[in-house]
Amino acid sequence: MILIHCPYCDEKRPEIEFANAGQAHVARPLDPASQSDEEWETYLFIRANPRGRHHERWRHVHGCGRFFNAVRDTVTDKFETTYKAGEPRK
Amino acid sequence: MSDALTRNDPVPATPFGGVGVTISLAAPMKRYSLRARTAQALETLLNVKVPKTISVTVAGIACLGPDEWLLRTEAVTAMPTSAGLPVAITEISDRSICLILEGPRAAEILMTGCPLDLDNFAIGRGTRTIYETVEIIIIRDAEDRFQVEVWRSFAAWLWTAFTTAASH
Amino acid sequence: MSGYRLETGGRIDRGQSVQLTFDGKTYHGFAGDTLASALLANGVMLFGRSFKYHRPRGVMAAGSEEPNALVSVNRGPGRFTPNLRATNVEIHSGLNAVSQNRWPSLKTDFGAINDRLGMFLPAGFYNKTFMWPRSGWDRLYEPVIRKMAGLGDAPTQEDPDIYSATYAHCDVLIIGAGPAGIDAALEAMGSNKRIILIDEQDEVGGGALADHTLWPWLERSLKALADAPNVTILKRTTAFGYYHDNFIGAVERLTDHLPDGGDAPREKLWRIRAGEVVLAQGAIERPLVFDGNDTPGVMLSSAAKVFANRYGVAVGVSVALMAAHDSGWHDVFALAKAGVGIAAIIDVRDTVDAALLDEAQRLGINVHLDHSVIGVSGRHSVKAIQITGGKTIACDALLMAGGWTPSVHLWSHSKGSLKWRDDLGAYVPDQPNENVRCVGACSGDWDFGNGVVVDVLPTPKDQSRIKAFVDFQNDVTAKDIKLAVREGFRSIEHIKRYTTNGMATDQGKTSNLNGLQIASAALAKPVPDIGLTSFRPPYTPQTFGALAGHAKGVLFQPTRTTNIDGWADENGAVFELVAQWRRARYFPQNSEDMHAAVNRECVAVRTSVGIFDASTLGKIEVVGPDSAEFLNRMYTNPWKALEPGRCRYGLLLKEDGFITDDGVSARLAPDRFHLTTTTGGAARVLNMMEDYLQTEWPDLNVWLTSTTEQYAVIALQGPNARKVLEPLVEGIDLSAEAFPHMAIREGTICGIATRLFRVSFTGELGFEINVPTAYGRAVWERLMAQGAQYDITPYGTEAMHVLRAEKGFIIVGQDTDGTVTPYDAGLDWAVGKKKPDFVGKRSLARPDIIASGRKQLVGLLTDDPNVVLEEGAQIVADPHQPIPMTMIGHVTSSYWSETLGRSIALALVAGGQSMMGDTLHIPMPGKTHTAKVSDMVFYDPDGARLNV
Repeated sequence: MILIHCPYCDEKRPEIEFANAGQAHVARPLDPASQSDEEWETYLFIRANPRGRHHERWRHVHGCGRFFNAVRDTVTDKFETTYKAGEPRK
Repeated sequence: MSDALTRNDPVPATPFGGVGVTISLAAPMKRYSLRARTAQALETLLNVKVPKTISVTVAGIACLGPDEWLLRTEAVTAMPTSAGLPVAITEISDRSICLILEGPRAAEILMTGCPLDLDNFAIGRGTRTIYETVEIIIIRDAEDRFQVEVWRSFAAWLWTAFTTAASH
Repeated sequence: MSGYRLETGGRIDRGQSVQLTFDGKTYHGFAGDTLASALLANGVMLFGRSFKYHRPRGVMAAGSEEPNALVSVNRGPGRFTPNLRATNVEIHSGLNAVSQNRWPSLKTDFGAINDRLGMFLPAGFYNKTFMWPRSGWDRLYEPVIRKMAGLGDAPTQEDPDIYSATYAHCDVLIIGAGPAGIDAALEAMGSNKRIILIDEQDEVGGGALADHTLWPWLERSLKALADAPNVTILKRTTAFGYYHDNFIGAVERLTDHLPDGGDAPREKLWRIRAGEVVLAQGAIERPLVFDGNDTPGVMLSSAAKVFANRYGVAVGVSVALMAAHDSGWHDVFALAKAGVGIAAIIDVRDTVDAALLDEAQRLGINVHLDHSVIGVSGRHSVKAIQITGGKTIACDALLMAGGWTPSVHLWSHSKGSLKWRDDLGAYVPDQPNENVRCVGACSGDWDFGNGVVVDVLPTPKDQSRIKAFVDFQNDVTAKDIKLAVREGFRSIEHIKRYTTNGMATDQGKTSNLNGLQIASAALAKPVPDIGLTSFRPPYTPQTFGALAGHAKGVLFQPTRTTNIDGWADENGAVFELVAQWRRARYFPQNSEDMHAAVNRECVAVRTSVGIFDASTLGKIEVVGPDSAEFLNRMYTNPWKALEPGRCRYGLLLKEDGFITDDGVSARLAPDRFHLTTTTGGAARVLNMMEDYLQTEWPDLNVWLTSTTEQYAVIALQGPNARKVLEPLVEGIDLSAEAFPHMAIREGTICGIATRLFRVSFTGELGFEINVPTAYGRAVWERLMAQGAQYDITPYGTEAMHVLRAEKGFIIVGQDTDGTVTPYDAGLDWAVGKKKPDFVGKRSLARPDIIASGRKQLVGLLTDDPNVVLEEGAQIVADPHQPIPMTMIGHVTSSYWSETLGRSIALALVAGGQSMMGDTLHIPMPGKTHTAKVSDMVFYDPDGARLNV
């Protein structure tokens, strides 16, 4: 069970307090109606599956309740960093 | 118009006495979920000081998240209306019950299923966490006394888990 | 010497005799013995039969690396534990152990025919031979192979033992309490660090337990550690796995060593988070590979020393040593000093340290340098050995000193890297991946002396005719590995899987390095080029009970109960689990079956009044100035114009346009809504809404609070519902004019504050009474008393399902499956066409969603009204088409409707909404039924019964 640093609580907490919430920085288009079918399909379904650095979202669901972003290495499972929602991609 | 209704609680009213720990049901209390854009907005509305740091508890108000506080009080007080303000007050008095673990083994019993390092959990701290698969809020009142808030439907299970651990 | 028990020495308590049975025969040992040492002391050499060839096997090691001496221990009904290493089983009075993989008895085993047929059972034999016919596997090959091969029998009864579990935290976790581990603990002790020292054995000390010169030091050290308040010592505890961020799983064995464990937990699962981990696991001696090296009485030389010095047991009267390493010489010298007769020392090297030769000479031991053992006489025990040059040496035990393998198992679990050391012929820890360090022999740091690495001992015999074992537990020989190489396997990972070398329950603790050396020689490549197979948890096999910990029986997982659950229980409810909730399914009276009870409950609701515990409905309070805006973006329908005091059905899609939840929600005030969700969807919907709120629209001033458990919810449904409610409610005008369908009012019921909804999931006049949860049961009982005059009838989830289906109300997750849009479900009316956006709206215009032929939800009425279709049954248009038929849909809900006097069903059918009145076919076991497509609303389509 890994430890995850919650950027809101500012401490490392056990993994079972958290839930993964998929890839990070996939913003909902501001005007969905203007999206082409292809653009919308990309937004809905197309996700990165990198070997190595991966930007993803987690939620400290059994803690402060906040969604935040993280950079995790998919090979080593180590977290490089975590940062608050809304902060620029790291 | 009729006799007062009786409350029905999911765990026994009689405390459980184990070796080194007593587990008991806290008296009913008022609970409010306080949400606000800023702590100041809440302080202005309620005319009280609220803690600004997550997991700090001051005068019955625990800061659980960046915009979330839990107010617990045994006094029945009317809450002011938050209409129009960036503040949300929701009554959750009956959502949970509170179990009190008291005695030298209190932390040990909690750690049978709670992954936090309670040896390094200061008196006065309160946080939402988990016991195995059940979400709880723990508040440390003293070296050997914890309050554990748990949603009612999970309470019977948690009571069994605690009392089983305490009897070993 | 009495039998094989030495007159003196050892750490056993000679004053405490212990009686045990092995294969039904009684033996005596001393307190402190293991099953292995006790039986060896009694002259027992034969402990079990091997996995594949059923060869007689004895004890090879003295610790947890033992591959051969696997036994089962029977502690009574349900307490049968197979595959325990006799070297780890502590004896106690009444211990009942049996040998494994033999029939009819250990000495006479019919399966041993496999040994004679050995030349026909090479590596890959089963894969190559039993390929076809396919049916042969199920009926013949597999049952026979399963019976012939294998280890102990699996227990067949439920485990009556209880287990416990805990988390623990420390600053320094030391794994292994031999001299290196104890030193590490002593070193850290003076700080204020929390230290946990764990060891798998019943006594702390590791290798020091077999060296009496270290006992005074051991005693002093353990006393100092015991007195230190910051040190916790866990013995009989195996660290079985090393996981991320210094998280270690360990199992402490609490009662198996006791004659009667009482009510205490049998084992305890420790989930330890450590600041720093110190691995002091030691090293495991390597066997040598030669013909007959698995004969009972052939064992590791270090093990013989442990049996002599720790347990006071001689492994033989006249013991020979086959050495490739100095450490064997030292072991034999120790044995000689303990009074064990030494037959000879044979060493594969042509020169050894002169000091060794001097000591051997002083002790009068014959030495044969540059020689190898090439054969062992004796089947059930060693009688003599043959060495190169033709000489035969009589002996009753043969020790192997093949060098040492550092125990890097946990280091490897932690993903630390390894480096090859040619001088040791072993992999040692290199770069750590966690905050961990290795100390002592597991780091390759030892003072055992020098040695050479040999893959197979030189022999003049035909290599294809000898059985020189590498993996003793899986019966893999040197020949098998060479065959794998000849057949083209190059990677050690493939060689391992083809030969099964290292794949037994001991994970190759004594075989991996020998297997590597043999493959290396056969491939003519250095070992590092071939690699090393991965070590994975568990270090040694652990019980399922220990891994489950306290999560067993009622604690397996939480069963959530409502405040009214106790009443339902006392009133004979039959329950079902919905998500984690225990819900009353129906309330049988007298000897009613479910069908009769559900019919009665449904009729009561339609004709008078029913009462239903709806507390499990998910509830979310949405509060803040932007609440209406937020809900307008989340739900398909418009929310901004909803007036306070009114309710609305909300349909929630995922962004992909498919229905994910629904529920009726109420506006309590301009900035406050009371949402309801499905029972199973409560947490999911809250998470989804939080996600949008926190990450897409953080500017909205809205906050969400789960109030699922704040309110008990009692549904009162039926034409007499208002009459039951009226006398109990204050502050709310219940008249149809003042309180119409789809409205909410706040007031009191029986003096308790209530949020009273006028809503209906049955199609009848209905109310849902929300009261603070603690009063749920009390209010329920008052309603029951008040409703008695109307024969108020409690109903369960089954009747609820029938009643809603009669009205064509869907259940998300039953009538939808995550691929159903609002249009597919016939819920077009719930989609706000004028809204510019809501979650899922854009997807409703995707090509696949607007395409024709999608599966659509429709009603089905069977031509035979008495036939109740099976839920999940497939639907076809033409029952005469060849198999496999084209399936155009399936039945999602199907019930007997007592009210309508016939069956009803809902189904997802391709293009179903344009097939009204068409006949479809539903093949079911025994008969293909016909049904006509219909509207989904079977009862009161105009809703006349609602608006009263």
